[in-house]
Amino acid sequence: MDSMPKPPSTFTRLLRNRSGLVGLLLVTLYVVVGVTGLLGMTPYPVNDQHVRDRLTGPSATYALGTDLFGRDMFSRLMKGAANSLQVAVLSVTIATLAGTAIGTVSGFVGGLFDNVVMRIMDVFFALPALLLALVIVSVFGPGGGTTVIAIGIVYTPIFARVSRGPVLAVKEMEFIMAARCLGLSNLRIMLRHVLPNTLAPLIVQVSLALSWSLLTEAGLSFLGLGTQPPEPSWGVMLSEGRALAEMAPWLMIFPALAIMLGVLGFNLLGDGLRDVLDPRLRGVKT
Amino acid sequence: MFRYLTQRAIAFVPTLIGVSILIFFAIRLVPGDAIVAMLGTEAGMLTQTQRESLEVYFGLDKPPVEQYFSWMGGVVTGNLGLSVRHGQPVLNLILSRFPVTLELAVMALAIALLIGLPIGILSAIRHNSAIDLFGRLLALVGLATPNFLLGSLIIVVLSVVFKILPNSGDFTPLHVDPGKNLSQLIFPAFTLGFSFSASVMRTTRSAMLEVLGQDYIRTARGKGLASGVIVRRHALRNALIPVITIIGVELGYLLGGAVIIEEIFSLPGIGRLVYNAISQRDYALVQGVALFIAFNFVVINLITDLLYAAADPRISYGQHA
Amino acid sequence: MRKAFFALVLIALVALAISPAAAQGNVLVMARAADTTGLDPHTQTAFASFRLLELIYEPLVSLDADLNVIPALAESWNFADDGMTLSFTLRQGVKFHNGADFTSADVAATFARILDEATGAAARANYLNIASIDTPDDYTVVFNLSAPDVPLLAALATTNAAMVDSADIESGAVATVANGTGPFVLENWTPEETTTLSANADWWGDGPNIDGIEIRIIPDEASILAALRAGTIDFALLNDPLVATLLIGDANVQLNRVPAISYHVLQLRAAVEPLDKLEVRQAISCAIDRQEVLDTASLGEGIVTGPLTMAAFALPTDELFCYEKDLDKARELMAAAGMSDGFTLKVIAANAEPPTALSEAQSIQAQLAEIGITVEIESLELSVYVDRWLAGDFEAAVALNGGRPDPYTMYARYWQSSGNLNNVAGYIDETLDDLMARGRTETDPEARYEIFAELQHHLTEMAPWVWLYTGYEYTAQLPAVQGFVPYPTDSLIGLAHVTLSR
Repeated sequence: MDSMPKPPSTFTRLLRNRSGLVGLLLVTLYVVVGVTGLLGMTPYPVNDQHVRDRLTGPSATYALGTDLFGRDMFSRLMKGAANSLQVAVLSVTIATLAGTAIGTVSGFVGGLFDNVVMRIMDVFFALPALLLALVIVSVFGPGGGTTVIAIGIVYTPIFARVSRGPVLAVKEMEFIMAARCLGLSNLRIMLRHVLPNTLAPLIVQVSLALSWSLLTEAGLSFLGLGTQPPEPSWGVMLSEGRALAEMAPWLMIFPALAIMLGVLGFNLLGDGLRDVLDPRLRGVKT
Repeated sequence: MFRYLTQRAIAFVPTLIGVSILIFFAIRLVPGDAIVAMLGTEAGMLTQTQRESLEVYFGLDKPPVEQYFSWMGGVVTGNLGLSVRHGQPVLNLILSRFPVTLELAVMALAIALLIGLPIGILSAIRHNSAIDLFGRLLALVGLATPNFLLGSLIIVVLSVVFKILPNSGDFTPLHVDPGKNLSQLIFPAFTLGFSFSASVMRTTRSAMLEVLGQDYIRTARGKGLASGVIVRRHALRNALIPVITIIGVELGYLLGGAVIIEEIFSLPGIGRLVYNAISQRDYALVQGVALFIAFNFVVINLITDLLYAAADPRISYGQHA
Repeated sequence: MRKAFFALVLIALVALAISPAAAQGNVLVMARAADTTGLDPHTQTAFASFRLLELIYEPLVSLDADLNVIPALAESWNFADDGMTLSFTLRQGVKFHNGADFTSADVAATFARILDEATGAAARANYLNIASIDTPDDYTVVFNLSAPDVPLLAALATTNAAMVDSADIESGAVATVANGTGPFVLENWTPEETTTLSANADWWGDGPNIDGIEIRIIPDEASILAALRAGTIDFALLNDPLVATLLIGDANVQLNRVPAISYHVLQLRAAVEPLDKLEVRQAISCAIDRQEVLDTASLGEGIVTGPLTMAAFALPTDELFCYEKDLDKARELMAAAGMSDGFTLKVIAANAEPPTALSEAQSIQAQLAEIGITVEIESLELSVYVDRWLAGDFEAAVALNGGRPDPYTMYARYWQSSGNLNNVAGYIDETLDDLMARGRTETDPEARYEIFAELQHHLTEMAPWVWLYTGYEYTAQLPAVQGFVPYPTDSLIGLAHVTLSR
């Protein structure tokens, strides 16, 4: 490593990174909006129906218009932020932890063990994601928790594969050989030497997965398997809005924007983190 | 190499058996049964006699374990069973639907690579330039758009603005009318390929950046190698591994059928086949299609692993055994 | 260079896609979202199946657009004076699609098949009074009844009682051959994709005026709408009012809507607590503004209805119990039941079947909250819903139930204690049993109207169900399609008479 006089902290460097900054701002905005929504600090109660004002466009009374039942879209988007982010973050956390652990250990240990573990992953991987999700949702009944588990399980093998690939490449490198020769324990080698080297692709993957998860939730909602009514999630609102898009375009535009900005935020943050965290990138001349 | 191949081929078997067991029992855990699903609420309560005769007819009267073994017995001999809904052998249904899915997947993949690879490479080489910015923006838009939204928008624009709709439920196979077939698939393939191109582009870009930052590239630069040579001979090749992974993942995913896109564009692919089979509790069909998709998947996995070895000389198979 | 080539290919493909591909020739291209589930006319129950089978098969009698019984394969009929025999004179010269003559032997064999429990015929329960069938000659059929049965005639006007060839019954081929007498012949059926029908040149009726019909399954109704607008299909069946209403005022596509006889209803199961308390059910009925449910779930596309939906028997809703929302009364009733604190009610709804189900549930949820009832919506996949519905495994259900031209046939299965869906209805009382029994045997139309008026008053007051509204049956067509008559039963038999002028 360079012998610099005390490098600035990761966070400071993230703030100096353009994508990182924008991403962080967007994600922070969403977390704030989501928490506000979760605490019920919305302009109107989320599920209150103002039937006489149904399907009205954005106005001073209803900033983003109202839906089929006269429910305030702005309030629902706030609560939807909470519900959507909850599903995304929880499911990706499950998938990342489980997948990375499985992939790293399996790739590092190698041999028969690797073979068996990856075959088991294949079993889960090989089943169509929707089929798995559908079965899980059908058995446990639809709802937020089930959606989290379903998306989490579906993404676990992806993380296993993505983390295993680099492990295979890295473990034959000299410095790992050296660590082995020095008699370091396998666990130590994995945590200290192998895992950090797989971080870059993993972080990219997490940022992608968070956005996929938002989108998968939207897809499951399209098929009626996501968050259950009357609770809003961006996915549910978008697929409800799709049916009415010609009559009341605001019902589709705002949830679509929310999802797209949410996905954008996670991706930019991921990009920023990647630039900042990856030691090898710092030397790149651009 | 040959030894590795045979070994992997043999390893298919337990994976597929695992899939068959998992899917066989999972689908039976789902409440609702084929007979009820078929008749709906208007049929009223079936009498015990009616129920039993229907169960015998569909082979649902035996204990599950026995059903499993008789199903597997059939699978080994190439008989995947009979679909309750279609009254046809499951294998025939799969073979009639798979070409659509395969074509769609290949076209989506081609579109994704066509957009994703060049932009990804350029944006890594010209890190932080205008083209990098544009590429990343495009990737973000691609990633951020739910594909049912993009698909719906495409259909609305086509039908309202241009007064056309290439596929109105009259899907035409490639060998019957290639022109019509391709025109029917280009929009759904673009819808899938666009969001997929984002992953390709991003993965290419970050893998390239990573490789470009590594010592040996810097050494190569130091030695004064032309940057085109560096990119082609060293960087690209080493950056390919994560790209291959992503392609493998996405291709496997696409071959499992893209239900929502097939639904919106009315394409008779594997995705809708299995989705309908699940909602109709057509057990034999669900099992058969799941097994078939799983088979594709393990094959793609194997190819992915082989491509790793081809792309990165540091990985070599055959020594581990 | 290579990129330029790919770009060219792409442009060429897009150009190909944009070249017009409108439907051509004298074959009607029709689209719908759901496919037929099977070809056996006697066992099919899905609406989607009827829409195909009614073009291929015909019953002895059928219904006109005003739900009057009209001749089909029988030219005339006669109830003998004591009401114990019903005889038919059959149309002569009718042939099945395989060329066989249609005779009284086929009628006898068809009913033997329907009445055989092992067949699993959907409408069997309606024909149990048929004790025996005589066939004095090839074109006369006499049904000997075990009890007077007025609704029997109208109950025969269904595809579930369609005539099939006795030879097919013998060979056990009914479920696979689709050998009927109707205006169209089934050429090919690829489930979930396309169905091809050709015109039956030997059909006895006036038509068909087209060479055939190509039915395509387009699973997403928004895409059906797109296909209509692009002019690539001629005719479509639509279910979702949110989609159909977009065509109102469209210059290039004609939307047909007729009031349906099927009805949207909130089923309460009086068999479970606290719905066993009359006051609780009545409170629910009084707390729901039915028009509001209709306005929000269906954009007002329909009319609020009592139990009977057919024009001949429907009552003005202001005569019925609590059809005006009355929250004070609802709260009093809740208090009288000792439920002032409210309770939690679980409502099952099928996801997207009908498309309005979840919206109805949400409207009901918001309205019942006003009297302290917390509604939990369980949105279920259709087959799970059907499973639980049939087993009576629910507290309340949002449902779209099919109507019938005759009130007895429509409700005997639910409200007679012996009805095969009585457990689903979850409610029995003697008055209902008595009214149903009288409605079955009464031959005087006036008296019959009175019986069923009383039935409706009683049902709405006992509130085992809360009847909400009837929607419209929607079809849409290009101007090139002419002469289509829509039916309140959603029947497509009108296609036998359409002409195409491209």
